[in-house]
Amino acid sequence: MSTMTSTGSTGGPAAAPSDPAGAKAGRGLRLSGMNWLVWRQHRAAYWTLLATAAITVALMLYGRQQMVTYLDGYGWPDLKSGWEERFNRKPLSMAGQLLGYAPILIGVFLGAPLLAGDLEGGTAKLVNAQSTSRVRWLATKLGVTALVVTVSTAAASAVFTWWWSPVKSSQYALDWSDGNAFDSSGPVPVALTLFTVVGGIAIGMLLRRTLLSIVVTFGFAVVVQMVWSHFRMSLGDVITVTTSNGVGGDNFPKLPDGAYAVDQSYLTASGDLIGYGSCNEATDKAANACLEKAQVVGWNVEYIPISQMSSMQWLGASILLALTAGIAAFVILWGRKRLV
Amino acid sequence: MMSNGTGYGGHEIYGGLAGESAIEAHAVGRRYRRGWALRDCSFRLPAGRICGLVGPNGAGKTTLMSIAANLLEPTAGTLRVFGAAPESAEAGRRTAFLAQEKPLFKRFTVAETLRLGRELNPGWDQRAAENIVRAGNVPFEAKVGTLSGGQRTRVAFAVAFGKRPDLLLLDEPMSDLDPLVRHELMSTLLAEAAERGTTVLMSTHMIAELENTCDYLLVIAEGGLRLAGEVDELRTAHAVLTGVHSDGRTPPEVAYHTVVETRTSGRQFTALVRPDGPVSGGPWQASTPNLEELLLAYLRSPEAPPLISPSSYVAPQAVAA
Repeated sequence: MSTMTSTGSTGGPAAAPSDPAGAKAGRGLRLSGMNWLVWRQHRAAYWTLLATAAITVALMLYGRQQMVTYLDGYGWPDLKSGWEERFNRKPLSMAGQLLGYAPILIGVFLGAPLLAGDLEGGTAKLVNAQSTSRVRWLATKLGVTALVVTVSTAAASAVFTWWWSPVKSSQYALDWSDGNAFDSSGPVPVALTLFTVVGGIAIGMLLRRTLLSIVVTFGFAVVVQMVWSHFRMSLGDVITVTTSNGVGGDNFPKLPDGAYAVDQSYLTASGDLIGYGSCNEATDKAANACLEKAQVVGWNVEYIPISQMSSMQWLGASILLALTAGIAAFVILWGRKRLV
Repeated sequence: MMSNGTGYGGHEIYGGLAGESAIEAHAVGRRYRRGWALRDCSFRLPAGRICGLVGPNGAGKTTLMSIAANLLEPTAGTLRVFGAAPESAEAGRRTAFLAQEKPLFKRFTVAETLRLGRELNPGWDQRAAENIVRAGNVPFEAKVGTLSGGQRTRVAFAVAFGKRPDLLLLDEPMSDLDPLVRHELMSTLLAEAAERGTTVLMSTHMIAELENTCDYLLVIAEGGLRLAGEVDELRTAHAVLTGVHSDGRTPPEVAYHTVVETRTSGRQFTALVRPDGPVSGGPWQASTPNLEELLLAYLRSPEAPPLISPSSYVAPQAVAA
């Protein structure tokens, strides 16, 4: 009656403690203890995430291959002018957009149920009735999940950044200040996803219901995206240029390639700034009269150069990661006392 | 590993305050938003006993067990497991808890469920756990989610046993088992407990089960402790008086004793009392109550004064350690 139990055929009582799952032991690294449990419990979700990341990476590598083939025709890496004309920007912007959804999707489907499922199904009691401490359990859950999320999003982000790099300085391919570019390259996807996932874990811990946590985490993730989009450009140092040789013709100051214009306004003789729209008149003549009357002498333009992008991304990512660490500490401290 | 000192058959040694406490509770209370689930609960459970925990639904049985199993913190008072705080690593290692709903990972196979026990417990006994599973012909490669309720309970039992605990907390362990399986698992439980000197605290509604298995008893009702002590000690401390009543009133002599409960049916009256002196000589017949009579009387009369036997008495503590 115990034919299904053992892998070993040595027989005898010594074989009894052999691991019925040990047949797979030869494959890859062997997890043990709490790591094994967490991986086993969530392996479907982890593998789905890793596989999705692998497919995304493969598709983006193909996309880059296609793009480089096209750009080679224009002498890449020293691009000749006119390369934009037949450039297909769709794959790149679509990939950026899809990567932008990763924090929401992963937070909702991996983060929210991570603890809520155990609390709702009672398995938190099962795990905590064993000899290992609750802190260990929580830390392992957070740690393994964070590792899988980091590996997946970092790989996708790295490949996307690489894909975009040949045409990064051109506004034509992607606007770097836009979410599709800014939130999908560098460290930002990793930080945004970790933040949303750990937030979802905390929501699940507090609500203790899987479905409810998924819904609330979705709302949380959307709010995170909105707040982030709103403050994204505040991470940069605004550079101001002023001119004093009039506003007509070609007197608009020359900004570096890929600069993100924050604001532009008229500079008057008294040094005041008046809004760009304040002399919108029906005819040029009327507009000029208006400028004259206001004693406009030049432009005042505020912008953020693309050279700041990387430091802005790292600054934003560090803020997000600090918040993530705070939530993770909260999960462990709260859960240590009050869980189950 | 066998550090509780009672050794083989420890639970059969009666009487005395000697020996270690498996559980010591000092004024333990737990309050939820809707009120106190457990209040001012003080007792000790000597090591090596098989103890029944009885009380109506919502009496605080699960709360008490959860505190001992470190799933809940008491709102008031302190509880010690073998002298250690429930949240300590030592108490965690020495205690196994089988929750009422027998939670298991539904997508794990039976073998993986046992592996969970092995991975998370240093003193894991794979053979003991496998034997319990095998005795029920539960296939090791079956997913837990496909098992019947009884089979699942068996696997949950195996995980609890495999931990080789010194204190086994079982919350309504037998509720979804058929009589045969219940009997078999109970025998396994008693044999294992006797062999290793394991202390068992088991909540149950099935009073008949208690009579054959438990040598110690805790009764709680409405969040408070009603009875605590050895079964025989508690029984002999009470008497059942039966006689014929006149005009619907029990004889006034009954009130010389501490009355737990009186009931009349037809012309008969039955009183369960704690004798304060000899019980012979009244207009009644006196006998020693069986466990069921004793329990029912206390459960029906929550206002009756509690009885905490010397072996389970703990002196009030001035300051919680």
